[in-house]
Amino acid sequence: MKKISYNIGKILIWIVIAVLILFSVYPVVYALLGSLKTNAELTLGSGILPEGFQWGNYKKAFIDSNFLEYGKNSLIISLATMALAVVTTSLSGYILARFDFAGKKLMTAAYTAMMFVTIGSVALYPITQLLAKVHLQKSMLALVLVLTGAQITNVFLVQGFVSGIPVELDEAAKIDGCSIFRIWWQIIIPLIRPILGVIALFTFRNTWNDYITTLVMTMSNKRLTTLTVAVVQLKYSVFAAAEWHIMLAGASLAIIPVLILYVFTNKQFIAGLTAGSVKG
Amino acid sequence: MKRRKGKYRRGWKENIQIYGMLAPNFILFLLLAVYPILWVFRFMFYSYGGLGSGEPVFVGLDNFKRLFTNDPIFWKSVVNTFIYAAGKIGLVIPMAFFAAMMLNRKNLRGAGFLRATLFLPTIMSSAVMALIFYLLFNVYNGEVNKYLSLLGITKTPVNWLGEEHAMLTVIIIGIWGGLGNYMIYFLAGLQGIPEDVYESAELDGVNWWQRTWYITLPMLGPVLKMILMISIVLAFQDMSHIMVLTEGGPVNATMVMFLYAYQFFFPIAPGSMVVTQFGYGAAVSVVAAGIVGIVTLLYLAAARKLDKLYD
Repeated sequence: MKKISYNIGKILIWIVIAVLILFSVYPVVYALLGSLKTNAELTLGSGILPEGFQWGNYKKAFIDSNFLEYGKNSLIISLATMALAVVTTSLSGYILARFDFAGKKLMTAAYTAMMFVTIGSVALYPITQLLAKVHLQKSMLALVLVLTGAQITNVFLVQGFVSGIPVELDEAAKIDGCSIFRIWWQIIIPLIRPILGVIALFTFRNTWNDYITTLVMTMSNKRLTTLTVAVVQLKYSVFAAAEWHIMLAGASLAIIPVLILYVFTNKQFIAGLTAGSVKG
Repeated sequence: MKRRKGKYRRGWKENIQIYGMLAPNFILFLLLAVYPILWVFRFMFYSYGGLGSGEPVFVGLDNFKRLFTNDPIFWKSVVNTFIYAAGKIGLVIPMAFFAAMMLNRKNLRGAGFLRATLFLPTIMSSAVMALIFYLLFNVYNGEVNKYLSLLGITKTPVNWLGEEHAMLTVIIIGIWGGLGNYMIYFLAGLQGIPEDVYESAELDGVNWWQRTWYITLPMLGPVLKMILMISIVLAFQDMSHIMVLTEGGPVNATMVMFLYAYQFFFPIAPGSMVVTQFGYGAAVSVVAAGIVGIVTLLYLAAARKLDKLYD
């Protein structure tokens, strides 16, 4: 009797898990398979599998909609933002973990407060005005700086990680005549590689996926439009509203790179979140 | 032993390095986090339409007077934000907890694959996915309605993006994008519970429900508190999928606070006309930030009370 109810429980659990998996995966699979359908198949609502593989959709998206150009922008901007975030957060996190300095308490308090204060995307307006004053508003550098931001959570993550490394290592290097900067570069950086890897991955993902910041920053400068922004704009163009197959090909082009990145790094993604939650 | 402050004297060379190394991040912090907040605090007292509309005019508390007495859409957006946050958190937290409980079992084959799969949506752009959901939730040829009628659940197609159901649709997408994150947080918390607690409970013959209710949940307390905190702060800020999917509509049915503030500065949809009202928008965003702040503080107070219950 007990055995039977145990098995029923097990089956129920598997059904729920299957539903959750389907719920998570279906939209992605739908987009990827839909991108290979004809427009007629999509608008009439056929089965999930395409009747024939319309690779031409991608060609059209690539060439007619200039996605190669946007993809290049996305890649450069995401990589640059990722690099800048890793450098700035590891510098600050290391100093905060190892040194006392005038204003440290104030700085930590300000950072902590700002983790919870948000005025949303409205902040982008004063920022663009500020950039216009220094004539930077149309450069890629400005976009990268704004997308990098202060990364407060990541600074604290690095700080926590560095605190776990014995301070004797720093001191030994100091006796050997290492400067603070060199200790950071040659001793700390190699030791905190796991957490920096996680910060890099998450920053890359966030930058690649960002819509609002990039949209606002490239409004007056279409040249820097990224893949995500370009794909979403298809919704608003009369030309593509009726061409859902191109829209899905575009959406797939925007999600496939992160998907590939994820397949190779999903352990780090998941480890990063768990490390963050235990420490945070 | 901890070194006492001031005992360790540094030379100016080292101080230059310290401040120099803090500078890159700190400058970004000042310019991109602090400056915008000071800006909205100043301009909430002004009437200002931007370049070409004349100089900013100081109007004192007029913006707030309008906000509190004569702006039903703002208050609708506040109610919508609370409905969205409550709906999303109320569903995603139990779902994530359940998923984590299931995937935490020791002898589960393929647990890594299942976790990676459930985490998959969190790596997608919510704006791009909103486009895909736009197709899925389409009234006439959408997949959702197709399956619902196939299963015999609905007879007539549900208008998922209409005024009546749009909020529900937006909440479902919010859950889709957040489930994986919270599941991982819960998994981390569950793995921190020592195994022997369960073993001794096993000897006492407790069942699954008792074990979950009396052991797992209390021991998960601190983690749960933090997960709820994160989920509240994030749910109140969600807007990019709403912006793309419904643009706050229809008839403001899915207008949330920060999207409402945003539309005084930038057009929600490309090509749509926007009458910029930077002063009023600043007042709206300050009040919205204040509401999120109050909710957070109330939650922290409530969470502290909960802690005392267990003592």
